[in-house]
Amino acid sequence: MAADSTQSFSHRMMEYVVRPCATAGFFVLVAFLWTFPLQHLFAYPFLFLFLGAVMGSAWFGGRIAGLISVLLSTALIDFFFVPPFYSFHVNGVAQNYWAAFIVCAIAMSWVTSTQKRSENAIKDARDLLEQRVLERTAELQRSNAEIQESERRLRTLTEAIPQQIWSAGLDGRIDYCNNHLLEYVGYGIEDLKGEEFLRILHPEDEQMFRESWGKSRELGREFEGEWRVRGADGTYRWFLIRSVPQMSPDGRIDRWYGTHIDIEERRRAEQALMQAQTELSNLSHRLGMGELAASIAHELNQPLTAVVTNAYACREWLHATPPNLDRASSTAQKIIQESKRASDVVARVRALFRKEIDSRGAVDLNRLIQDLVRLLHDDAIRRRVSIHVDLAPDLPRVSVDPVQIQQVLLNLATNGMDAMILQETHRDLLIGSRRNGADEIQIHVRDHGAGIDPEIGGKIFDPFFTTKAEGIGMGLAISRTIIEAHDGRIWMESETSRGSSFYFTIPVRS
Amino acid sequence: MSAASAGATVPTVFIVDDDDAICDGLCNLLESVGIDAERFGSAEAFLARSLEDRPGCLLLDARLPGMTGVEFQERLIQAGTRIPIIFMTAHGDVPMVRKVMKAGAVEFLTKPFEKEELLAAIHHAFAMDSARRQERRELNAIQSRLDLLTPREREVMSLVTSGLLNKQIAAELNLSEITVKLHRRHLLDKMQAESLADLVKMAERIRTTRTW
Repeated sequence: MAADSTQSFSHRMMEYVVRPCATAGFFVLVAFLWTFPLQHLFAYPFLFLFLGAVMGSAWFGGRIAGLISVLLSTALIDFFFVPPFYSFHVNGVAQNYWAAFIVCAIAMSWVTSTQKRSENAIKDARDLLEQRVLERTAELQRSNAEIQESERRLRTLTEAIPQQIWSAGLDGRIDYCNNHLLEYVGYGIEDLKGEEFLRILHPEDEQMFRESWGKSRELGREFEGEWRVRGADGTYRWFLIRSVPQMSPDGRIDRWYGTHIDIEERRRAEQALMQAQTELSNLSHRLGMGELAASIAHELNQPLTAVVTNAYACREWLHATPPNLDRASSTAQKIIQESKRASDVVARVRALFRKEIDSRGAVDLNRLIQDLVRLLHDDAIRRRVSIHVDLAPDLPRVSVDPVQIQQVLLNLATNGMDAMILQETHRDLLIGSRRNGADEIQIHVRDHGAGIDPEIGGKIFDPFFTTKAEGIGMGLAISRTIIEAHDGRIWMESETSRGSSFYFTIPVRS
Repeated sequence: MSAASAGATVPTVFIVDDDDAICDGLCNLLESVGIDAERFGSAEAFLARSLEDRPGCLLLDARLPGMTGVEFQERLIQAGTRIPIIFMTAHGDVPMVRKVMKAGAVEFLTKPFEKEELLAAIHHAFAMDSARRQERRELNAIQSRLDLLTPREREVMSLVTSGLLNKQIAAELNLSEITVKLHRRHLLDKMQAESLADLVKMAERIRTTRTW
């Protein structure tokens, strides 16, 4: 602290005492030395050089130096050059002259030092400005470099991650694709801008993609879906395409960023699994059905065969000469026995169905339909069928066996898809529900197939009636059994070449 | 083989079905039209008794517990029992029908069947069985005559029936032509052949049976 104040004191001494005194002393000495020889050339006391010294001191030394030089000059001039010479005394005549000099000198010193000062101020300001400009420029350069670096890093990142990335403007026009994407689809960025982007999609997916993407942009919501994208080699693979909007600070959408993730393997595995499941269920379904049918047929055939053979024998005993009435009667007894056995078989089959029907609960039929549509999703894609669903809202729950009703729905939907197999276009399957008065729900399954010939239309619900090469004709028969066991009705309406509609109803009980 | 007594026996229908009511009905019907029938509840029960070679046919359910009709048919063929088989089944199984018919089944009846269908099949099977038995009796007769020949006569017979002249046979067996002629006469006598052509025919029949 002491050292500090000492330092600042000596600094101040230097600033306000030593340097002004030295500067003033130097200029005044120079003026004094020149004035001595020159004073003899002029009649009046020669004082101009002192004025110059005051100016010089004030300019170079500042205001204090100017004042010191005024004092020094005044003293020297009074002593040496104003009569009486070599004395500080001033006589009357010279007094005015001398006073004028002093005023002049002070004014000059003032003006000069002020000027110098303002010049210095300007210079300082300019220096400061220049320095600021330099600083700003350096800062700008640095931040530019930083931005470039981060952009470069970001770009490297978008190229480094294995996903395919694009970005689009507010209008959905693609303006950037990373190299992975370009390499995969085999196009340049110019070929994919705007609408052209849709060309990489599977033609069947294009319309849905356009709608879904348009809707997302309209609502400003994240967009996500699974679509088939054509690679450079012309084959299609499944991709998870996802796009998120980038929001501006005021909450508006600036642009969209999209990623494509290859899910072909997953999709294939899923499809294989699904197919295996379907095949398994089809197989077990068919086996179960076939086995059941064969078993029922065998069970019934045995007593029937016995009945028929005994009936023939009975006739033979009666036609014998003479008629063998004992044998005919015992044979007739056997016929009665075996007929009873046959009817027991029928009763057993009935009991079998009845037992299954007992597992009923309050079921939402719309939910069953939605589950079924999900179940059929891949199957439908494979068969190029679009399934449309039209469900009435707020349906009451009904007391049914969900597995059996699902079985009926599956039968009807599979039949519908089979019916459209020969068709090139309009492979549309409509499944819908509606309330039919207060006490019924009606479900319909409509296809756009060739329709059913009215001649066979009456027989399609009969057991073992089929139009399919590999069918066993039990699907609709069992469907009818199930629906009737639920106290519902099932029927079909068909228009040749316009398709068929199957309807069934389930009663609503309060 | 004890074929000699078989000719006199009345043909019987052997019914093999695990369903008692069906066996009953079939026996009843066959009895009412005067055909002998015997019933067996399983394939094993039949196999246990079938070795006594009786004329008739087998009325077999294609679906038997333990052994399917097709397996049963294979067993019988392996055992050399050549009884004609009529299959009965509750449901038409096309590949099985093709298989059993190929293996020599007479008929394939789908239950329940008409009386006429059944009787026609049985008569057809009886006729086949009887023809087969006739054939076998004749073969057995030829065989027993053949058994009477001396080894030399048999040699001569095989050369004669393969078309060689007496002179060639004599050279082949290192005999005189006269001896060959003598053997030939004995041969025809013992075989009860009326001519050389008759003898050749017998030899041919024996040869084809052996390859059976």
